[in-house]
Amino acid sequence: MKKNRNTPKLTRCFLSLLLILSLAVTAVPALGEAAEDFGGATLNVYNWGEYIDEGMNVIRSFEKKYNCRVNYKTYESNEILYTQIEAGDSAWDILVPSDYMVERLIAKNMLQPLDKSIITEEDLSGLTEGVKNLSYDPDNTYSVPYLWQSVGIAYDKTKIDPAVVEEKGWEIFLDPAYAGHTDMYDSERDAFMIALKSLGYSANTENEEEIQAAYEWLLKMNSAVNPFYVTDEVIEDMSQGYRWLALIYSGDAAYAISQNENMEFCAPKQGTNIAVDAMVIPANARNPRLANLFIKHIMSYDSALAISADVGYASPNDRVLQELSGPGGDYEGNSAYLPRFGYEKDEIFHDSQVLQARLAELWIKVMSAK
Amino acid sequence: MKSFVRMSYPYILWIAVFIVAPMIMILLYALTRTGNGTLTFQFTLENFSRFFSDPDFLRVLWTSLRIALITTVFCILIGYPAALFIANLPEKRQTLMILLLTLPMWINMLLKTYAWRGILMNFDLESEAKVFIGMVYDFLPYMVIQIHTAISKLDRDLLVASYDLGANRWQSFLKVTLPLSVPGIISGITLVFLPAVSSFVIPKLLGGGNYVLIGNLIEKYFLVAGDWNFGSAISLIMALIIIASMYLTKKIDRNAEED
Repeated sequence: MKKNRNTPKLTRCFLSLLLILSLAVTAVPALGEAAEDFGGATLNVYNWGEYIDEGMNVIRSFEKKYNCRVNYKTYESNEILYTQIEAGDSAWDILVPSDYMVERLIAKNMLQPLDKSIITEEDLSGLTEGVKNLSYDPDNTYSVPYLWQSVGIAYDKTKIDPAVVEEKGWEIFLDPAYAGHTDMYDSERDAFMIALKSLGYSANTENEEEIQAAYEWLLKMNSAVNPFYVTDEVIEDMSQGYRWLALIYSGDAAYAISQNENMEFCAPKQGTNIAVDAMVIPANARNPRLANLFIKHIMSYDSALAISADVGYASPNDRVLQELSGPGGDYEGNSAYLPRFGYEKDEIFHDSQVLQARLAELWIKVMSAK
Repeated sequence: MKSFVRMSYPYILWIAVFIVAPMIMILLYALTRTGNGTLTFQFTLENFSRFFSDPDFLRVLWTSLRIALITTVFCILIGYPAALFIANLPEKRQTLMILLLTLPMWINMLLKTYAWRGILMNFDLESEAKVFIGMVYDFLPYMVIQIHTAISKLDRDLLVASYDLGANRWQSFLKVTLPLSVPGIISGITLVFLPAVSSFVIPKLLGGGNYVLIGNLIEKYFLVAGDWNFGSAISLIMALIIIASMYLTKKIDRNAEED
């Protein structure tokens, strides 16, 4: 910004003219069947870690098709992503934040609408029911789902009777019988979600009394099962059978179950959180056209199949979802792969920075309580 | 001489940009309320009173200090005899031993800790014991190397003199070797205690996250709660504790030298 102010007016005029001209040139649609040639342009993609097919063939085929280079980097959490974007990091053309973070980015005018001449109605009609008309972006103006999942309970069925898990749901985390054998995911939003759902409240409540009740519930959980607070370690713990019980993302559970046949997944009857990670284009993206083409490429059957099969999270592509969970599919008979949808008690998180801060503070107190 | 002074300019610039400036920003954040404009600061000590009036936060601080302290003590107890043993070996063997000691440091810390997690999973130990095993394992080389350097610099004639004057091995160790190796122990403590206070990965992975430490607290407030002011206040409290302990160890060191 500062630099621009110092350049002489004439140079600036000339530069902007050049810019307009170059935009006009790139905007001309490619003629015939051949894909557009981007002459080695760079597309900057920022995605979650461990969230793409092994060998990244999906990326390689895109680079080949459009003669471009994809700079692919990964992040660990929505909050880290947001902190960077808010600080003015303009290096990205594609981000993959979760539902509530998409909601925040839309509200703060930090995204640009998708180009519906590239991502057509036909592309969008391939989305599965569970990820259509989502409240944060009902008509996919700004976002297209990348992968989705629900939160649930993973358990060792040789140690815990499935009927008990189904019957108790989240309440199972209050049973001292599982002390020393339980993993609790270190995420305030998810932990409070199970407490609030258990008590019959909404996971998005900002009612202080309900939050307080959920806090008491979690303190009770902490002293009853004395859980190990973990993040990604939960995947290893359940795959190796180190623990009997864990709060887990269905995608991670799908992987654990595929590694260890004793493991089972349950989406509790009290309701849970349905989480969607969606592709978006930041308002200040440098290469929006290529970014739109990238989203279209990821939505294609081949890419969606490769990604979901390798990662274990549910595909937003209906055909892929049915195929992977159906007869002969990679996740046939895997109780965690196909998320539950249409259950009235399930919710998507809404964005609230006030709530987030409040829960973070209380969650630290739960974890450090003895 | 003057040209040598000039050679330190890049370093001074480095310090100013990457250490002093961030510290000033942390100080500003810690002393202000949220929602400041760019130019209007609202100064307050609220962040500090919030920290010190909450028993949960104080317990977190105490746990961090306790873990660091116990780790340091174990490192000295195990590290000193090891350093003494190595220093008494022939020169060539010493080099080999030090190489073997530093070998694990070439491996990424996270990787080593995950390995320990897998190993310790098979043993029914208190999670606190697991944390200490991991911490001592990781920090021990720093202690041994510092003490070894101090002992091997020691003038052998002093020991010969002490034997001549009729002291037995134990007496000459207590009166000669030990006092002269105190500077090594002190710098070992600096290298072990200070990073141990702020480490949180090892306790998290091995203690099953049953330990919320001051490092976790800072991370949560910056990244999750988005409360940079309180997060900065905690960082500042931590920085002050580190500066205080450095001052203390320096002072003990100086006293030891005067004796």
